[in-house]
Amino acid sequence: MNGHVKKMHFQQFLETAAKLLYFLLLLAVDSKRSVAASRNHQCGKDLQMTLSLTKLVRKETAALTKEYIASQGEGFQQGFCKASVSGIPDPNISGLEPSERIASIYTQLQAFLSHLKHVQEQQGNLQPLKSPLLVDLSNVMERSKMLALRVKAFYSRLFPNLPLPEPAGGPTTLPPPQTIFQQKVYGCVVLTTYKKFLMNISICRERTTLKSKVCGTRRPKKCDDLL
Amino acid sequence: MVCERALQLFGLACVASVLQAGYENNNHVVIAPQDPVIEIGTNFTATCVIIDTAEVTADDLYWKLSQTVIPKELYTKINSSALNVTVLITNEKPEWLFCHSKKSSHYISMNNGRFIHGIWLKKSYRPESPKNLSCEALQEGKLISTTISCKWEAVGRHTEDAPRTYTAFLKMYIKDETLNVSTPKNSVQVNVGLYPNYFPLEFWVQSHTLLGTLESEHLIKEANCFVKTNPPLDVRAISEAGFPTSLLVNWTNPIDESYVKLKYKIRFCPIGSQIWSYVPPEDTINPTKPFRLQVLQPYTVYVIQVAAKPVGTKDEPDCGYWSNWSSNKTARTPEDRPSSPPDLWKTVDSNSHDVQLLCKDPEFANGNITAFNMRMKYSKNGNLEQERISVNADRGSNQKMASLLKKISLEGKEFVNVCVSAVNSAGKSPETCLAIKRNPNDREPTVKEINIWPRNGQLFVEWKHNSTCVFEYVIEWVGNGEMDWQRENKTTRQTAIKGALERFVCYKVSVYPIYRKDKGIGKPASKEAFLEQGAPLNGPSVKSESEYDHVILTWDETPQHLRRGFITNYTIFYENEEVIKSVTVPANTTSYKLESLMGNTHYDVWIQASTIAGSTNGSRHSFVTQKYAPRMVVGIVVGVSFGFLFLVLLAFLFCIYKKDVIKENLWPQIPNPSESTIGNWSPDYPLKAETPKENCVSGVYVLDEGMCEVKHGFEEDKTSLSLKKDKYLSEEHSSGIGGSSCMSSPRQSVSDSDEGADMADTTASTVQYSSVVASSGYKGQTPIEQPQHSIFSRSESTQPLLDSEENPDMLVQEGGRAFHSPFTRSAENQETADPGSFKQMEVDQQDFCPIDEDTEWTPSDSQSANVEPGSVSSYRPQLGGYRPQNTPTE
Repeated sequence: MNGHVKKMHFQQFLETAAKLLYFLLLLAVDSKRSVAASRNHQCGKDLQMTLSLTKLVRKETAALTKEYIASQGEGFQQGFCKASVSGIPDPNISGLEPSERIASIYTQLQAFLSHLKHVQEQQGNLQPLKSPLLVDLSNVMERSKMLALRVKAFYSRLFPNLPLPEPAGGPTTLPPPQTIFQQKVYGCVVLTTYKKFLMNISICRERTTLKSKVCGTRRPKKCDDLL
Repeated sequence: MVCERALQLFGLACVASVLQAGYENNNHVVIAPQDPVIEIGTNFTATCVIIDTAEVTADDLYWKLSQTVIPKELYTKINSSALNVTVLITNEKPEWLFCHSKKSSHYISMNNGRFIHGIWLKKSYRPESPKNLSCEALQEGKLISTTISCKWEAVGRHTEDAPRTYTAFLKMYIKDETLNVSTPKNSVQVNVGLYPNYFPLEFWVQSHTLLGTLESEHLIKEANCFVKTNPPLDVRAISEAGFPTSLLVNWTNPIDESYVKLKYKIRFCPIGSQIWSYVPPEDTINPTKPFRLQVLQPYTVYVIQVAAKPVGTKDEPDCGYWSNWSSNKTARTPEDRPSSPPDLWKTVDSNSHDVQLLCKDPEFANGNITAFNMRMKYSKNGNLEQERISVNADRGSNQKMASLLKKISLEGKEFVNVCVSAVNSAGKSPETCLAIKRNPNDREPTVKEINIWPRNGQLFVEWKHNSTCVFEYVIEWVGNGEMDWQRENKTTRQTAIKGALERFVCYKVSVYPIYRKDKGIGKPASKEAFLEQGAPLNGPSVKSESEYDHVILTWDETPQHLRRGFITNYTIFYENEEVIKSVTVPANTTSYKLESLMGNTHYDVWIQASTIAGSTNGSRHSFVTQKYAPRMVVGIVVGVSFGFLFLVLLAFLFCIYKKDVIKENLWPQIPNPSESTIGNWSPDYPLKAETPKENCVSGVYVLDEGMCEVKHGFEEDKTSLSLKKDKYLSEEHSSGIGGSSCMSSPRQSVSDSDEGADMADTTASTVQYSSVVASSGYKGQTPIEQPQHSIFSRSESTQPLLDSEENPDMLVQEGGRAFHSPFTRSAENQETADPGSFKQMEVDQQDFCPIDEDTEWTPSDSQSANVEPGSVSSYRPQLGGYRPQNTPTE
């Protein structure tokens, strides 16, 4: 056996090893893709459920706002709801990264829940005991809690190693004691701002961004496809 | 094996040591295990252990299950102080298992209760996993109900004493909370508060029995996949002009889409139809509203319904439940021009050549047919003529009714070709043609072997026809005064009549072939049939002509509209007071002769008309058979006649053979007056010289009215009577009445001759001859009514008196018979009388005349008084009355 023959055997060995490595790489990539696809599918499903729930809360909040205005007496006008009241959370979502934005949504939801609870207490004193407004207000609060839980779960699933940050300004600051009219205006401003906040979550841009960046799926052709 | 035995002994030692502690002061026999739960259908082994006594051994023990001693074959002796028993548990009821001691001793008797021990056997089945779990959350107002209803399929068995129970679990991921509800049923309702839309729900069930718990599979779904909403609201259907084959359908979602996203399904059908058409599901998963229903029939009313169901996901495509269908919404599609030709047909008046052309709307009229355009072509007298007319289709609201287009006469026409098209507001239909020939085509084979039968509320028609030239067939049916038809294609040989047929109506069904050439109509085949037969409405009314032993019954055929089926037969029932009999006759019979009846008997008769579906009795008719049969009457008459004739013959023979006797009795010899010695009688003849008996010469002739001539003759020739002189001479002594002067009284003589109703006649025609010897002969005569023309003649016969005259009693007896005889003695007298004697009578007439017609001859007392007393004894009374007078020759 001469050196030429030995060289040929070595080359054959290298070719076989290369093929084997190639197949192993393909297998690994494919496996990773499958896992990613499965994870993206679940992410998309969670996102879809979260957005659908957001839409439901927004719908109920819009109906509640109308009912709230109608229940505050004849002199109460919709224009009062545009008044500036200090301490009410910003309806805009902060943050650049998806994780920050989702965390912002969760934090603001918690803040709004505190205000909604305050409004519920105030209206409990102003409205009859079995007023439909109180029932609907209670339902919106309950549904908002669900939304907060779902956002939290969604965040935890996406970012299991990133704990949700605490509110920046510490606990939510509630307004000082108010007159009845101030209470009415306050409640309306809270509901209106909350509706805007929910609208901001549901806007197409936010949804598509979350869909594409977070869950890694292709952009949907229409925004409605997300819901 | 050894190991097993060792383990058993070890266990038993443990049990015994434990039991010994517990039952030290109580039982000497103890059963282990103490509180068992046994699976039904398995073997159960118990051990009875003897504790703290040597009174009994294992051989003294026995087992009882409830009240039954368990056979020893099922025992297993462990040692001298332990006995096993193994029994198969099949009964579901819990029961006691006892261990007894059968040995008797003083100690055992004193402590009997310590030698008995029992355990309560609880029995149960093993739990099985519930299957087919499902949960349903209904819509409540604008939201989903806070209560979820879940159910599952119970699997396995349980007993009344050990019932199976379930615990239903509902895990709500939103709250990380699990609700649970226990129930013996296989359904549960769980209150979840505000419905957790867009959150998963997990549901499962645990099944519990005494033998353990088994859990079902878990049902995990997104909460909206348990939802069943209300049906869609406010369903609307809109027709658009210019789109005759489509309808727009719109509706309102039953619940806001933010709660549940819904998909829909739509179904529709022409009104009156039960066959629904469904819109393909893929078209209604995400429908654009309004939704357009397509490929519909123009001018047709459709019923539309919509249902909703939550939209699933890729993971859960079958999500939620379909709602109920919405309430019916109807809408009519717009009109379109008729897409098929009208249905043209004819009826022929069998009595003439008149043909009525009828036309039905096209099958696809696609609107309201307002008119028919008709053009006719016919050959009249060898010339082809054409006619175009338009007929308004005025049929009221009944669109299916045929329109009468025209009544034409085939007189002088070989054929008529008719072509018709239907017109609606959108246009005109294709034409249909029909050729009507005065003489149908005979060259083509006729339809034959038509067969009709009812099935499932329809009439089916089957026929045979061997012709290759057929274009189609027309099935025509006529019944209840109405006619209708339908068309079948050329290959059809069996079909169902599509018209609305009525039960109990006779339909005449005809199959007409329509030939390709000119659409000519061939010869039909016909048959009658009923959709359903029933018992006739009325039975026939019967009439009768009764005789002595039979009756001829006649009845009218049951009218067609009352038959309600084919009459299979008539049954004639007839009854008298004793029995009812019946006779069945064929359906085509309308008269029948009932025979072997009893005479002079009252019968009730009625006729029952029968179909295959039942029978109906006609009205009752009564008749009485005649008392005598005609031949009996004839027999009686003939018999009576023969009897009478026989009697007459007998009498005649009697008269012939006993002529002398009769003559002797009825016509006694009357002395000839001319030969009588009294003819020589003269007034100077001493009256007293003769006894009245000897001088009593009497004779009576009774003449009827027919003998008037005789009487006249007497009157005319009375001058020739020989007694004229004597009468004259004896005027003062003779009464002149019919009775003899010898009669005891004139009355007696009259009454003797006066039997019967024609006394006056007989008396009127009576000529009495009397020998008046002395005026005393009238004495004692009572006045009697005398006939008008009575003539009294006096016999002056010198012949001696007959014996009968001498025997007055005999005369009385025979007087009656003599009177009834049709005497013609007057004629004889006329012939035989001596003319001289008549002359003599004429002379006597002046003194001895007949009594006036109107004068009743009643001799007065003065007359009687004028009679000389001495004359009474000179004549013997003539008791014989008006005795017929023999011929003078005698």
